[in-house]
Amino acid sequence: MIGFLTKRILQAIFTVLVVTLVVAFAIRLTGDPALISAQGGGTVTEADLQRIRVALGVDRPFYVQYLGFLKGLLTLDFGRSFVGGTPVSQLIGTALPATLTLAFASLFVSIVLSIPLGVKAATTRGKWPDQAIRIFSLIGLSFPNFWLATMLVLLFAIALQWLPPSGYDGFSSYIMPAVTMGLILTATNVRLVRTTMLDTLRSQYVMVARAKGLSETKVLYKHALRNCAIVLLTFLGVQFGGLLGGIVVVERVFNWPGMGTLAFDAVAARDYPVLQSVITVLSALIIGVNLLIDLAYGLIDPRIRTQ
Amino acid sequence: MALKLTRSLLGALAMSTALIAASPSFAAGKLTVSLSQDPGSWDPVDTFLVAWATVATNIFDGLTYRGPDLKLVPGLAESWQVSDDGKKITFKLRQNVKFHDGEPFNADAVKFTFDRLLGDEGSKGPQKSNYAAIEKVEVVDPSTVDFILKSPDPVLLTKLAGYGAMIVPPNYIKEKGEDYFNTHPVGTGAFKFISYEPKIGVKLEANPDYWGGAPKISELDYKFITEPATAVAELQAGRVDIVVPPIIPISMVPTIKGDSRLELMSVPGPTVDALRFNTRDGITADVRVRKAIIMAVDRKTIVDAILAGQASEIVSFQSSLSLGYDPDLKGLPFDPEGAKKLLAEAGVKPGAPLQIDIRGNDATMNEVAQAVSSYLQAVGLTPTIKPYELNVLLNDIIPQGKTGALFQQKWGGWTFDYDNTAYSMYHSGEKWNPYEKDAELDKLLESQRPMTDAAQREKVLRQIAAYVNDKALELPLYNSNAIYGVNKRVKNFTPAPDNRIKLNEVTVD
Amino acid sequence: MANATTSGRLSRFKAMEFVVGILLFGTICLAVLFAPLLFPDGGTKIDLAARLTAPFQSFAHVLGTDPLGRDVLARVVTGGKVSLVVGFASVVGSIFVGVAMGLVAGYYRGAWDALLMRFVDVQLALPFILLAITFFAILGGSLVNTIVLLIVSQCVQYARLVRGSVLSLREREFILSARAIGVADRNIILRHLLPNLLGPVIVLATLNFANNILLESSLTFLGLGVDPTIPSWGGMLADARTYLQTAWWVSVFPGLAILLTVLGLNLLGDWLRDSLDPTGRTSR
Repeated sequence: MIGFLTKRILQAIFTVLVVTLVVAFAIRLTGDPALISAQGGGTVTEADLQRIRVALGVDRPFYVQYLGFLKGLLTLDFGRSFVGGTPVSQLIGTALPATLTLAFASLFVSIVLSIPLGVKAATTRGKWPDQAIRIFSLIGLSFPNFWLATMLVLLFAIALQWLPPSGYDGFSSYIMPAVTMGLILTATNVRLVRTTMLDTLRSQYVMVARAKGLSETKVLYKHALRNCAIVLLTFLGVQFGGLLGGIVVVERVFNWPGMGTLAFDAVAARDYPVLQSVITVLSALIIGVNLLIDLAYGLIDPRIRTQ
Repeated sequence: MALKLTRSLLGALAMSTALIAASPSFAAGKLTVSLSQDPGSWDPVDTFLVAWATVATNIFDGLTYRGPDLKLVPGLAESWQVSDDGKKITFKLRQNVKFHDGEPFNADAVKFTFDRLLGDEGSKGPQKSNYAAIEKVEVVDPSTVDFILKSPDPVLLTKLAGYGAMIVPPNYIKEKGEDYFNTHPVGTGAFKFISYEPKIGVKLEANPDYWGGAPKISELDYKFITEPATAVAELQAGRVDIVVPPIIPISMVPTIKGDSRLELMSVPGPTVDALRFNTRDGITADVRVRKAIIMAVDRKTIVDAILAGQASEIVSFQSSLSLGYDPDLKGLPFDPEGAKKLLAEAGVKPGAPLQIDIRGNDATMNEVAQAVSSYLQAVGLTPTIKPYELNVLLNDIIPQGKTGALFQQKWGGWTFDYDNTAYSMYHSGEKWNPYEKDAELDKLLESQRPMTDAAQREKVLRQIAAYVNDKALELPLYNSNAIYGVNKRVKNFTPAPDNRIKLNEVTVD
Repeated sequence: MANATTSGRLSRFKAMEFVVGILLFGTICLAVLFAPLLFPDGGTKIDLAARLTAPFQSFAHVLGTDPLGRDVLARVVTGGKVSLVVGFASVVGSIFVGVAMGLVAGYYRGAWDALLMRFVDVQLALPFILLAITFFAILGGSLVNTIVLLIVSQCVQYARLVRGSVLSLREREFILSARAIGVADRNIILRHLLPNLLGPVIVLATLNFANNILLESSLTFLGLGVDPTIPSWGGMLADARTYLQTAWWVSVFPGLAILLTVLGLNLLGDWLRDSLDPTGRTSR
C-alpha cells in the first residue's frame, strides 16, 4: 500500500512539474509583456521598454525565471501581477474559491439529478420513462453550454426576473451557472448510473442476496448504489478537468470572477505570473483530485492496487 | 414583483424620513454603475483608461473642472491668470478643502502632485507626456501656485481637469507608500474610497464635507462588467442603475428603449473611429489605392443602417464638436466605378488580399468592418478581418507597425481639440504613427501647438485635416454618441460626452 | 427483469436511435456539402436595407436575416462547413496519432509505455480551454490551428483505449502463437491486433466528433476560433448575443443547428456502442 501511494505521489509531482515547465515556456512565446505594461500614451522608447523588462524580471534568462517561479511555489508566493503589481496569491485567493464553489455546486446539482433519474431509468428498463430519460440525456449532451447559459439568462433573469443575470454575490447568483453546468454533467452521469445499476442488478451477488430473501429496496440501495458511487467517483476524476474547462466558458457568460476570467485577462495582458500560477494551481488540483480518487479506488477495490 | 414592492417601500420610507428630518444635506440611497474594465490601479499617473476616469472624477479633483456642458470652470483653483507670453499660469487655490484622510489641500499638495507626475513615478506611466509642456510648479504662498511652462500650451487648462493632473495627497502617499495608494486612493473628491475587489468592483461612500456640495446619495458602487449583454441584463434586472459608455453596443439600443423601466441617454461624444492605412507596406503604400478604398465604401449607408442614428459620419478624424472641425471639408465620394479605375491604374490585380485589423471586443466595429469588407469585395479586393485583443492591438501591433493594410483606430479625444488627436496620429515618431514620416505635416502640427490665438490655431488645424484628407491617410468612419443606459429611478443625472461625471448631484428614488 | 416486450421495445428504441441519428446527421452533412450549389454567395451577401428581418415572412429569407442583412438559412448551412471540417479532421487526426501511440505503448511496453502514461497524465491535467487560450495567443486563431489543438489534446483518449485493449489482447492465444511462429511484430500489430480494436475506437471517434463540434463553437464564441468573416455556428452565436431580445432568430437557428448535428452524432455513437458492446463496458 505504501509503495503504491509513494509511486502515485511521485508521479503526480512529476506531472505537475512538467506542466509548469510547458506552460512557462509556452506563454513566453506569446509576446513581450513590457509592451503591454508600458501602455505609452506618448512615445515609448526602447530604453523605457528595457527598464520595464527589468522591473518585471523578464530580462533574465528563461531558466532563472522558471527556477524563481518554482522556488516561489514552495513558499506559496506566486509573484506579482504585471498589471498593477497586485500579489498573484491575492488574485487567486478570490478567483479559486469562486471557481471551486461553482464546480461543487454544479456537481451537486448533477448528482441530485442523475441518481434518481438513473435509477428510474434502470428500474424501468425499456419502458417509456427509460426512453424519455435517455433521450433527454442525449439532448443534454448535445447542448452548447454557452447557448444554454444565455437562454437561461434570457428566461430567468430578464423575462421573469427571478434570478440575477450575473455576478458572484449570494446564493441566488449560483443557481443559473450551477444549473447550466449541472444539466450538462447530468446528461453523462445519468447514463453511467443507469448502466451501473443495470449491471449490478443483474450481477451474481445481488441474485444471491435476493435469494437470501432481503427486500428489494435493500438490495437496490445497499449494493447497487455502492457500485454507482465507485463508477461516479472514477468519472468525477475524468470530469473534473473537463468541468474546470467548461466552467471557464460559463464564467464568461455570467461574469463570474473565477480562474477562467483570470486566465483570459492574463493572456491578453501577457501577465506571465498570473497565467503560470493559474494553470499550475488548476493542474495541481486536477492531478490531486485524480490521485485521491485513485487512492480511494485502491482502498475500495484491492484488485486495482496491484496494477 | 416582491423586489419592486420592497424597493418602493424603502423609497417611501426614505422620502418620509427626509421630510421629517428636513435636513437639506440628507443623503440616502445607493447608486450602482457598471464599468467595462478594471484599471488595476487608481493612481492618476498610471493610466489613460476611460473606465478609470469615470470613477476617478468622483474621488479626485483637478485644478480646473469640465462638466457635461464641456465648459471649463474652476475646480480646486478658484481663479487663474495666464501671463502674456503664455509661459506662466498663476492659480489661486480654493480654501478650506481637505483630503479624505484629513490633510489640508494647499499649494504644497499641488507642487507634490506635479513633481511626482513629471518625475520618477510619472515615468512609469503613460500620463506624463501629456503634461510635458510644464517645466515646474512653484509655491508662491499656501494658496497660490505658479506653473512655469517650457512653451505655451493652450490645451493645458483643459488637461488640468483630469487624468494625470488630478491632485493627490502628499502626506498620505509618503506615509503609506505608492503600492498602497494604488489600491487605496485618497483625494479631495465628492466620494471617499471604501474598498476595491480586483475584477469585481470598487465601492465609494459620500464625502459630506465636499467643497462642491455634499452628495445626495450615500453609497456609490462600481461593478466591472466586460460583456455588453451582461451589463444590459444587469440594468434590466435593476441591479445596476447606470451603464456608462462605451459598453452599450448599438445593437442593444432597441432593447433599452423598449424597456419601460429604463431610459436611453445618447449624447454626441468625442469618440471617433476610422480605419487607418498602413502606408508603408503592400498595396496601401500607393495613395491611389488608398483613395480607391475610400471611394469604394458607402460610408453614409453604413452609418445610417448599422449605427441607426447613434453616430454621425465624419470626414476627418474628429467629432463635429472639436476645435479644428471644418464643416466645409469634403471627403471622397462613394464611387465604386471610380475606385475600380484607380485600382487598375495603380496596377492592383483583382482579388488582391487585404487585412483589416480591428478590436476584438468592439461588436459595432465588427459589423462595420464586415460591411466595409463587402464593399471592398465589390471592387475586386479580397479582404480578411483579424480581430485582436485590445491590449495587444494598442500596445504591440499598432505602435510596432505590425498591422495589416487597414487597422481600426478609436480615439477619445476628450479635450475636444484636434491638436491632441492629430499630433498623436500623424506626427512622426508618435506611438500611434508607426508608418508615416512627413516633414511638411510635422511642421504644420508643430506650428499650431504654441499658438495662443484660438482662431489662428483653428485655421492651421483645418489645414492639417485637409492635408490628411488629400493624402488619404485614413478611411474615416463615424463619430459615435456616448450612449448611457439609465434606470428611471435615477434623477438629476446629466450624461457627459466624456464619461467623466461627478455624481454628487444625482438622487435615486 | 428483461422479457419479450422489453427486448422488443429496446430493439425498437435502438433502431430508432440509428434511424434518427442518420437522418439528422446525414441531412445536415448533405446540406453542408451542397451548400455552394444551394447558396452560391455563401451567406455573405450583405444587404443593409434588409437588416434583421423576421423569419417565416418571405421565401427569400425563410429564416430571416442577420444584423447585416445576410440570409440566416444560407449562413447556417454554409457555416456548418467549419464545424464539420473541424470535427472530422480532428477526429481522424486523433485516431491516427492516438492509435499509433497506443499500439506502440501497449505492444512494446517498457519505456514507450511509461512515456505514454506520463504524456497522458500531463494531458489530463490541463483543462482544455486554458490550453486553447495559450495556444491561440501564440499562434493565432485559425481553422488549422483549431484542428491541431483538438488533435493534441484528444489523441491520448485513443491511446489509452488502444493501449488497454492491446494489453489484454497480447497475452491471448492467437497472438502468442503468432509470435511463436515468428510473424513480424509489424504484421502482428497491423493484421491481428488492429482489427479487434477498431470497434471501441469508432465509438469514441463518433462521440468525440460530436464533442469537438461543441468545443469548436465554444472557442469561436470566446473569440479564439476562426476568422469572423467565415460563417461558423459558434461565430454566429457570439455575434447574436446582443440581439437576443430583439432578434431571437439570429441566435436560435445556429444554436439549433449545433444541437441537431451533435444530437445526430450522439445517437449514432450510442447505437454503435450498444451494438458493439451491449454491456456498456467501453465508456468515454
